Amino acid sequence: MHSLGMARALMAVLALCCVAAPLHAAEEDAHVVMLYGLDPYLPPFLVMDKAVRESIASGKGAQAIFFSETLDSQRFAMETLEPELVALLAKKYSALHIEVVVAVSRKALDFFVRHGDRIWPGARVVYVGFLGYEFKPTELPPGASAVLSILDVAGTIDIARRLQPDARRIVVVSGVSEIDRQAERQAREALAKLDAQVPVEYLSGLPLPELEARVAAEPSDSFVIYLTQFRDRDGRPYEPHDVLRVIVKASRAPVYGAVETLIGLGAVAGSVASYASRGRLIAEQVRRALADEPLDPSRTVLAAPNRCVADARALQRWSLDAGRLPDDCDIRFANVPIWRQYWWAVALALLIFAAEATLIVALLSQRRRRRLAEQAEQAQRAELTRAARLAMAGELTGAIAHEINQPLGAILSNADAGDLMLDSGADRRDELRAILADIRRDDLRASEVIQHLRDLLGKQKFERKELDLNDVVSNLEPIMRAEARRRGVVLEIRRAPETLAIMGDRVQIQQVLINLVLNAMDAVADESEARRTVIVSAAKGESGAVLAVRDHGRGIAPEHRTKLFESFFSTKPSGMGLGLSITRTIVEAHGGRILVASSSEEGTTFQAEFPTAIANGAPFPYPA
Amino acid sequence: MSTGPLIHIVDDDASMRAALLRLLVAAGFEARGYSSTGEFLLQPLPDRPGCLLLDLRMPGPSGLDLQTALQQQNITLPVVFLTGHATVDSSVRAMKAGAVDFLTKPVKRDILLDAVQRALARDAVQRTARDEANRLQARFASLTQRQREVFDLVVAGKLNKQIADELDIAERTVKREREQVMAKLDASSAADLGRLAELLHRSSAR
Repeated sequence: MHSLGMARALMAVLALCCVAAPLHAAEEDAHVVMLYGLDPYLPPFLVMDKAVRESIASGKGAQAIFFSETLDSQRFAMETLEPELVALLAKKYSALHIEVVVAVSRKALDFFVRHGDRIWPGARVVYVGFLGYEFKPTELPPGASAVLSILDVAGTIDIARRLQPDARRIVVVSGVSEIDRQAERQAREALAKLDAQVPVEYLSGLPLPELEARVAAEPSDSFVIYLTQFRDRDGRPYEPHDVLRVIVKASRAPVYGAVETLIGLGAVAGSVASYASRGRLIAEQVRRALADEPLDPSRTVLAAPNRCVADARALQRWSLDAGRLPDDCDIRFANVPIWRQYWWAVALALLIFAAEATLIVALLSQRRRRRLAEQAEQAQRAELTRAARLAMAGELTGAIAHEINQPLGAILSNADAGDLMLDSGADRRDELRAILADIRRDDLRASEVIQHLRDLLGKQKFERKELDLNDVVSNLEPIMRAEARRRGVVLEIRRAPETLAIMGDRVQIQQVLINLVLNAMDAVADESEARRTVIVSAAKGESGAVLAVRDHGRGIAPEHRTKLFESFFSTKPSGMGLGLSITRTIVEAHGGRILVASSSEEGTTFQAEFPTAIANGAPFPYPA
Repeated sequence: MSTGPLIHIVDDDASMRAALLRLLVAAGFEARGYSSTGEFLLQPLPDRPGCLLLDLRMPGPSGLDLQTALQQQNITLPVVFLTGHATVDSSVRAMKAGAVDFLTKPVKRDILLDAVQRALARDAVQRTARDEANRLQARFASLTQRQREVFDLVVAGKLNKQIADELDIAERTVKREREQVMAKLDASSAADLGRLAELLHRSSAR
């Protein structure tokens, strides 16, 4: 496989050399080398590599042609091969300008630092690796960029202890290659800090048959922490995932792992960082390197943080209680019928549905009896709209508190600082003036948030004005972002470059947007990190302006689709079932329409289309 | 370069960060601000007493992630969390992972400065313990191979005669080496040596 890959890469190089020169077409594309310190076919790297290439391909910027190289340093003695390898690579890339080298693992980075100038002169490096475990961020070479994450052995042990608080023994399995040993050192440090007196045994570098026998002899009230095993004490090389498969099969005690791709092969759970999101972050850094932008620290270190991930099948096999896992644990591979898994939610929903049905009947008969005048009915509808808005605000309290407490906190600390300065007696008029200016600015910031909320929640006259749909989105951006951050959802906001003029009531259109966004966030709440994305866009449509909200959830059940916009229909235990029905009322009252597309693979998209504003606009039928 | 305490402030909100910096400087501290956890980790940490004022929720990695990363690198800088909106879950996690305090914005001056003082006090204790352990390690490293063997056996409660037998040397030699060990480690009795052995064991396990 190795030589085949190399041959293919060589052919690609040759093809490129012959084609690129005369045509000048390929000059647009950047050349990127993925340099792996380990075997690039290891499962986590396959996931990561795919995400890197897909993100670059789907991105707006320049496209890239990828080349792959490997050092496989955990299984081969690099020192003896290095001179020939460097000579070969220098020859191979001599006719090709490489813009970026992605160095995966410390060995790859060191190799790049030693030989990059000769093999890929002028290339920038993006380093991918573990923090602390093999690298301190301050060791990053100048001009380099990085995506660093944590091998969280301590967190994984913590999860194991949550699931098995009464475990009588802990067994730690690792190999004896450099990486294996570093992981084992981390496990030793983490276990030394445990206050509980549980005996720990380290099985380091055992040949596979012996390891299998030792693990099989372990009683079921132990737990096994599997780190990595690239090599055993006799120097025999392994693929670490294969070792896990063997252990899992033999063991009566639950096995845990700290690498994402081990969960799913039989390991119960672990504190792991997603390789897909790491891939996307690498693509982002590659794009920045291609554009010659400097490193962005907030997207670099720990940007794919560790999360608890568990395998439902393994939990079941070892009869472990998923309820003991942390609340935000991502339980994968669940294959339980919805009814059994959520029986209480379904029962509750039915109960509420019955209560609501009664309510509907009551309301209808009441309405019939009273024969409400048209105006009164409209007033009631406006009240209902406002009630739904208040309910929405309730859901947003966390985000609102954050948005207001932030400037309030700054004001208080600034005032305190000013006080202390005055106490010191020195003349610091300029500093005090700067403090007052900041206080004023933060005060306005807080009152702006409150003003937006009052606009949204207050009981005010319906106002029909010409608005830009882009502005509606911008006004709500801080609150939507704060809410997204609170829920751990990635929120993407796309505005149209041109003005999207529509006629309407700003508050009601904001209500449509918030309602759709909250629904979308609910839809992705239980999804894995990769799918927890919501995209809000304002764009020009065929016959007007379109506000679209798209989620990557599991879609709407077919039997629910027809009832979606009915009043008092809700699938949420605490939902009133008014949100979407009011949303549609508002959109239609503005002369627009609402469309929904949903599938279990792609998620759901709601589109609200509003007619373009014309001077002395069309009749407006909804005086709320 | 100054060696007084240095307070690190990590908060993505520029205005909040500036206000905290001003307040701490006015209160007589030296302070430094960072706009993300990554920015903090990418800068070399000076070897000075200090603590970390950490915003809980930031775009990208959160304050809790940074706390984990520091533990991972054996950086014991005490952490005080600041948040605009606290949830029970996050505060429990933070305190369990060893945070000094968990404060909600807006935070009163006395409460903030008190938390900073407690964090600095904890840092001082940790630094003293670490310095002592390092000094002890250095002194221990100055022992010869033979002296280390004698040390191990003394600590195991053996008498000079038993040690002489075990190492196959004269009892007089044991006595001389034993005095050397006591002098080099600045110990006055066998019990003292036992205490030092315990300390050495603990600091090397860390």
